[in-house]
Amino acid sequence: MTPYVKAPKIRELGYELKVRDVMDRNLITVQPETPMSKVRGVLRLNRISGIPVIDKGKLVGVICVEDLVNWLMARADNCSVEEKMSKNVVTLYTDEPLIHAINKLEQYGFFHFPVLERENRELAGTITREGIIRGLLKKLEIDYREEEIRHYRASHVFEDMIADKTSLIFQYYVVGQDFNRAGESASALKKTLKRLGTHPEIVRRAAIAVYEAEMNLVIFARSGEIIVKVDPNQIRIEVEDSGPGIPDIEKAMQPGYSTAPDWVRELGFGAGMGLNNIKKCVDEMNVTSTIGKGTRVEMYVATKKESVSYEVKGTG
Amino acid sequence: MKLKELVEKFDLQIQCAAHRLEREIKGGYVSDLLSDVIANGRAGDLWITLQIHQNIVGVASLKNLAAIIIINGRQPEENTIEKAKNEGIPIMVSKMCAFELVGRLYNAGISGTR
Amino acid sequence: MKLGKIKEILEAKVIVGASLEREIRMICACDLMSDVLSCVQSRFSSLLLTNLIHPQTVRTAEIAEIPAICFMRGKEPQDLTMDLAKKNGIVLLSTSFSLYEASGRLYKEGLPGCSEYREAK
Repeated sequence: MTPYVKAPKIRELGYELKVRDVMDRNLITVQPETPMSKVRGVLRLNRISGIPVIDKGKLVGVICVEDLVNWLMARADNCSVEEKMSKNVVTLYTDEPLIHAINKLEQYGFFHFPVLERENRELAGTITREGIIRGLLKKLEIDYREEEIRHYRASHVFEDMIADKTSLIFQYYVVGQDFNRAGESASALKKTLKRLGTHPEIVRRAAIAVYEAEMNLVIFARSGEIIVKVDPNQIRIEVEDSGPGIPDIEKAMQPGYSTAPDWVRELGFGAGMGLNNIKKCVDEMNVTSTIGKGTRVEMYVATKKESVSYEVKGTG
Repeated sequence: MKLKELVEKFDLQIQCAAHRLEREIKGGYVSDLLSDVIANGRAGDLWITLQIHQNIVGVASLKNLAAIIIINGRQPEENTIEKAKNEGIPIMVSKMCAFELVGRLYNAGISGTR
Repeated sequence: MKLGKIKEILEAKVIVGASLEREIRMICACDLMSDVLSCVQSRFSSLLLTNLIHPQTVRTAEIAEIPAICFMRGKEPQDLTMDLAKKNGIVLLSTSFSLYEASGRLYKEGLPGCSEYREAK
């Protein structure tokens, strides 16, 4: 592994960014027959430490500062670049993840690599340490600014609206019995609340409560609806289904009590902890149910700073 | 190691079949999925689970498991205890979570492989 | 402990995820999703060891902010589970050990469970 890329975020970017995103496309090249006496001028003029050598469009070698110094020290006669260049050139492809470039730089101790197009092996650019650093910084800055703007816009929604009272309503439709899609509403709500700048622990508690309620809905009912009303002081969540109803709500609230079928238990649900979990996550909860008609769970989570507890009550 | 030694060492609360603690434990298995235990549990295993439903007794008896330990201090349902009494399957309760209890059992020499 | 080190201890294979640099502070060994939700707390950065390879396992990890899951007995999940993990940046590992053996090995290396972690704080 690369010793100096320890920060997880940078490593992530190293996989996300491709070599082509950070390479220098400004192609400065020489031919094999270029005389060595001209190399110094090219290196100096462009402030680079190595030049790809191109013959009929193909990369045949690299001539670098070290080659030039060796030639000067030897006080040999002028000769062509071809005689002094390194021919076994380590290259990268434009579509490789940046992390490969970083690893190779470290592995070989070089300062630059020629970059080729994978299809035709033609030179597309060069990659340097400075280029990599510049590319990473740019990407970090873009990500940061995008996140800032998104976060700013959403979290100031309440302040930007002019009204005596403002609230946002999010509605999610849930399909029962579809286990693969179960939890999509909870996931969507979680992302939405985050975007609104809600405190992470509040987001977490609301997401867990909605997820448990959504699972119950999927297990027992054919369809239902989740309505979330967010205002500056609280989140109100209403989960309503057209399922069979709960015969004894008090019993259903007891930890470990469950009427879930075996197939649900085998999926890691229906162990009778759901309602209990919801209760631990919300500040207030009401369950009403009519046999044969459906069940309605109403929950409140306070978000106003002074009345908030950030801990999930009790432990499992 | 015998069940009896475990009870003292790990502060387990015996729920039933206290007369059957002389049995030697061959290994350990953790799972909350009954089908998984039916497929992979082995005779003489100590089964660690969160499930309190009476079906756990049937599975333990079917696979000839040494005992069931219910974790997180959860109490088994009444009919689970009743059934376990009849089948002679010891059920014990631990306050610890699965990971910690297993870690300690493992350190005490009860392995998950054989 | 780094996720990469845990991968070595469990002789596990990476199913989804590029980086194993993440620091894991606590382990949760569980097959019941409600218990996972109530045991784990987001800022504790946990690894979930479980026998369940269903998409709901990843969904649960997403909701509870669990950064990594390791499946037991060489089980590998279906595409839907993997896609969901990719989308939410959750690392998926698979070990050939049983949940018991894996828990034992990690505990021996000094990783705590949820209640010990709380006490240590």
